[in-house]
Amino acid sequence: MAHPISHAMNDTWFSFSLQDFSYSFLSILFEGIPFILFGTLISGLIDQFLPARTMTRLIPRRPSLGICMSALLGLVFPMCECGIVPVIRRLVAKGLPISNAVAYMLAAPIVNPITAISTYAAFRGQGPEEFTALRLGLGFFVSALVGFAVLNLPLRAVLKKSLLEECALPQPQTPPPREPFHRRLIAAMHAGIRDFLDVTVYFVLGVAAASLFGTAVNQEIFLPLALNEALAVPAMMTLAGLLSLCSSSDAFIAATFVSFPAVAKLAFLVFGPMMDLKLLFVYNMVFTRRFVAGLAIGLFVLIGLLTLRLGIVFP
Amino acid sequence: MTARLSRFGIPSVLLLWGGILLYFCLSGRVVSYLHPSFQWLALTAGAMLTLLGVAVVLAPDAGEACDSDCDLHPAHGLGLAPLAVLVVPILAAALVSQDHFSATTVRNRGVVDYIGDLPAFSPAYDPALPQHDGTVGEGTMMDPSLYLQTNAEGRILAETVDLMYAASDATMREDFAGREVEVVGQILKARTDNPSDNRFHLVRMFVMCCAADARPAGIAVEVPGPLEFSEMDWVKVTGRATFPVENGRHKAVLRADGITPTPPPRESFIY
Repeated sequence: MAHPISHAMNDTWFSFSLQDFSYSFLSILFEGIPFILFGTLISGLIDQFLPARTMTRLIPRRPSLGICMSALLGLVFPMCECGIVPVIRRLVAKGLPISNAVAYMLAAPIVNPITAISTYAAFRGQGPEEFTALRLGLGFFVSALVGFAVLNLPLRAVLKKSLLEECALPQPQTPPPREPFHRRLIAAMHAGIRDFLDVTVYFVLGVAAASLFGTAVNQEIFLPLALNEALAVPAMMTLAGLLSLCSSSDAFIAATFVSFPAVAKLAFLVFGPMMDLKLLFVYNMVFTRRFVAGLAIGLFVLIGLLTLRLGIVFP
Repeated sequence: MTARLSRFGIPSVLLLWGGILLYFCLSGRVVSYLHPSFQWLALTAGAMLTLLGVAVVLAPDAGEACDSDCDLHPAHGLGLAPLAVLVVPILAAALVSQDHFSATTVRNRGVVDYIGDLPAFSPAYDPALPQHDGTVGEGTMMDPSLYLQTNAEGRILAETVDLMYAASDATMREDFAGREVEVVGQILKARTDNPSDNRFHLVRMFVMCCAADARPAGIAVEVPGPLEFSEMDWVKVTGRATFPVENGRHKAVLRADGITPTPPPRESFIY
């Protein structure tokens, strides 16, 4: 049986090297920071230039249609999981219903053209059409389902108090007429910088946790789990959560786990972009801790059950 | 306190992050951290963060532009703890990092010695490779001129992945088998599949995006005598390429006749 990790393993399950940790830590920061910066600069522009309630007018009023449309927004406005959080924070403050925002946030890193192409390329020879379709389809379905669940929750149970207060503030329907363009641009810059620093604090903590796992933990401990589908699915989701890979490239890593059943790889590809170590911290910037914990558990159970069910339907 | 921290802390953090990104990009150290397709993004982000840091310092009216809801707003101020998180880890990591992994992490990840286990592996029977008329496709791994370049002494200059590919493809195997090759990589002692205790792994880190996803791709090297190098030393190995069947599949084993220390290549990754 072929394993992607099979030789020269350490004897212990944990062996830490500060230099290796620092190396991995910096590499993830260098990879992720441009996307966060891009996302936060957009969020700053949204803050200053997007009139309040615009999103409410653009998204269908019927909640079911609105949530489904939001879960597909990534096809038009693709965002990675690092950059999207500050964007949805601003969109919520501008009146986008939280259920739509959550659906967009969860789906956009998966349901977008870049992820589709990379998934197709990564699974050449392993049924690329099926994998790509199932990944995007399941990503959309799970995001919409979570959006519907959020629809029934009170806002105070979902949003952090600071954002809740921001949403409650009366907002002008149009930008202040006498505010010169350059002043609004400066204000947008400051708003973007605030968001950047807020997200980056959580990102740093998440990256540190992911780097600790990526360098210090013997990854051989996961291999025995590949032999059993019921164990392989949660094991691969846990691995996705711990590795905290970028959604545009995680398919290339997943494709190498040739010993694991296809449904376990699918679970890896759907769960990872929605919830991982770094996102666990970054989500805390917008949502209450309780909601983040519930979201993590809910996604784990939901995606686990759905992929296991798929394994029965498409053995 | 928070307002003062924000006033001075925000531009300082932006300049620090921008400075570190620019330093790693402009000094060339970034090649040890990121795939080339991400390096320009890091450079751009570094430049933008530096510019934003300068802009925050030089824009005295920026605070007035948003009056009560600006960067000095207590709810959004930069407290001491967030400031520490933004400054200490990146600074410490930049000082401590050696731009490569030690044997500890490589062992934790495990050496990949079968090409099919590497990310983005394209099997040689991919219909895109050979042309319909039977000729070799341009610019593919099937084109021998791409992997059969020789040095002045007539040895094939190969990468570890070339030999891993060859182990899985009959045509490439014929091209390499029994030929003298020269391969550069890092030494890692073989703890498995080493019955005569005369093998080590010669590894290169295979990267998709950044060092954090690097996978050690290695071939086995057989040596006639004791090995006098430390783990993860960079060496140039010359020897004969062989592909014995082990554990039911062909495996690349280089029977070494010379091992010399060599400086690390500028780009230590393979992609």
